[in-house]
Amino acid sequence: MPAFEFSKAQLDPAALARSLADPAAGGFASFEGWVRNHDAGQPVTGLDYEAFEELAVAEGDRIVAAAMQRHGVRAARCVHRVGALGIGELAVWVGAAAAHRAEAFAACREIIDEIKHRLPIWKKEHYQSGDSGWVNCERCAEAGPAHADEPAGDARFDYARQMALPEIGAAGQRRLTAASVVVIGAGGLGCAVLAALAGAGVGTLHVVDDDRVEASNLPRQPLYTTADLGRPKAEAAAQRLAAYNPRITVHAHAVRLSAANAAALVMAGDVIVDCSDNFAAKFLINDTAVLAGRPAVLASVHQYEGQVQVVRAESGGSCLRCLWPEATRDGLVGNCVAAGVLGPVPALLGQLQAIEALKILLDLPGQLRDELLLVDLLGVELRRLRVPRASECAGRCTRIGPAAAETPAAELEITLPLAAAAAQGYRIIDIREPDECHSEPLGLTGHMAMPMATLLAGPAALDPDARYLLVCTRGARSLATARELRAGGCRNVWSLRGGLLHAAGGTQPGRS
Amino acid sequence: MPQVRLRYFALFREQAGCREEEFATSAPTPGLLYEELATRHGFRLGRAQLKVAINGAFADWGTPLADGDEVVFIPPVAGG
Repeated sequence: MPAFEFSKAQLDPAALARSLADPAAGGFASFEGWVRNHDAGQPVTGLDYEAFEELAVAEGDRIVAAAMQRHGVRAARCVHRVGALGIGELAVWVGAAAAHRAEAFAACREIIDEIKHRLPIWKKEHYQSGDSGWVNCERCAEAGPAHADEPAGDARFDYARQMALPEIGAAGQRRLTAASVVVIGAGGLGCAVLAALAGAGVGTLHVVDDDRVEASNLPRQPLYTTADLGRPKAEAAAQRLAAYNPRITVHAHAVRLSAANAAALVMAGDVIVDCSDNFAAKFLINDTAVLAGRPAVLASVHQYEGQVQVVRAESGGSCLRCLWPEATRDGLVGNCVAAGVLGPVPALLGQLQAIEALKILLDLPGQLRDELLLVDLLGVELRRLRVPRASECAGRCTRIGPAAAETPAAELEITLPLAAAAAQGYRIIDIREPDECHSEPLGLTGHMAMPMATLLAGPAALDPDARYLLVCTRGARSLATARELRAGGCRNVWSLRGGLLHAAGGTQPGRS
Repeated sequence: MPQVRLRYFALFREQAGCREEEFATSAPTPGLLYEELATRHGFRLGRAQLKVAINGAFADWGTPLADGDEVVFIPPVAGG
């Protein structure tokens, strides 16, 4: 029985598995590669395998023998098809039998990985469009030495190494150039994320942070130097990143993330990366990203450990509130100031966030989704925990489908003087931030004041038998909040059209 | 001038329009041979994306070519 062979005929996995039967084997693992009906977004109708058979067989035998020896398995083999294959056909079969399952899995994995990367086997895909192409070859040709299709720019910063990856190529690099990422927080996590995304050539970066550089930041925040002490972090980071990669554009936002500016900031990105250090911001980022339908990559760090969660509510995925339905209050668990932190921990977690953001932008396989990645750097362990969409997710991501989010404004907005609305039995909720309420009072009594994020976090506090009218300065936040609450199942909320500005005849200053 | 036997697979087979050919080359190494052939057949892949096999075994780009060698240029692979 050869360790590696080609077959022009269909494979019979049951017979192949039987061929490895061994009374001393307690574990058997197999891998089957099937022909799938799509690649890189294109419908595929079939493919042809071609091989340099003499060399492939010699190398394949070596790969199987090396894996058997390294993992101590009792038997292993691989059979690869050549010729024309249809959708769903078995293209490659690998099996390994060992005393225990761990060796069988490991050997099987190693064999298929090596075979895919080393053996002279080529695959030509036939597309529904009538086109065809040699997988890995066409895109590499684009990424050849002349960089014929590389986005124009400064050759001093050359993306050749990452463009050599078959999944990226010139087309992927163009996607990165066209992409925008918003990074909220430019501390330990943010420095790592920003440096990685700037290096990868993400065309537009937004740095959001209202802190200033402090001496205690420098050990783990290498975007800053001692000369930056006292400078706004957003400004210092943007300047450093622009100098690092002159081919990208970096925008500095030296503002504190708040319900008033969150929507506008989040909408500026194709992906939002949460590098904040407090729960209020994390929940606000989560909620705003869910509302805006933007993917968000969240991370947090505690001493030698960290967590990463990718929120894909726009495609039905779970979110932070599926895990923690009620916003965790800051102060219950320590932050870096109180608990301490060692630089490589946020640096590594930030790199994990960066690769997840790039995977989303490039549509690479293996994206984290509906799970929480736990990283323990003292135990040197990575664990992935399932986080399914929660049905009681604060009335949020389970019901916020695109259809629900699209409740037309006409059904949500009311045009009435506030006093008249109150007289008609509407309970008025001022959803502005406390500082806004203080500087521009509503001029009513008996209303409720509840900032947008608080209201979105706890709609259960609303009386289902009452009718609520939400009010903000211009009517944009109140409309978005009402729409969100409707999507979450609250049928009894409306928004004051035009907000206070409209109610006051358009003379009042203030935020949107 | 060594006479070598070239075999083409996948993309190179299509671009060269044949599975194999005999070729008298002035190139002393497979690296320079590839440059000759790239001009002759319009191969667009860069050397950095390729491997070369001589007489059925992977070889270095600087290996001296000898008369009668079988040379295969191996484009990026996609098994599995």
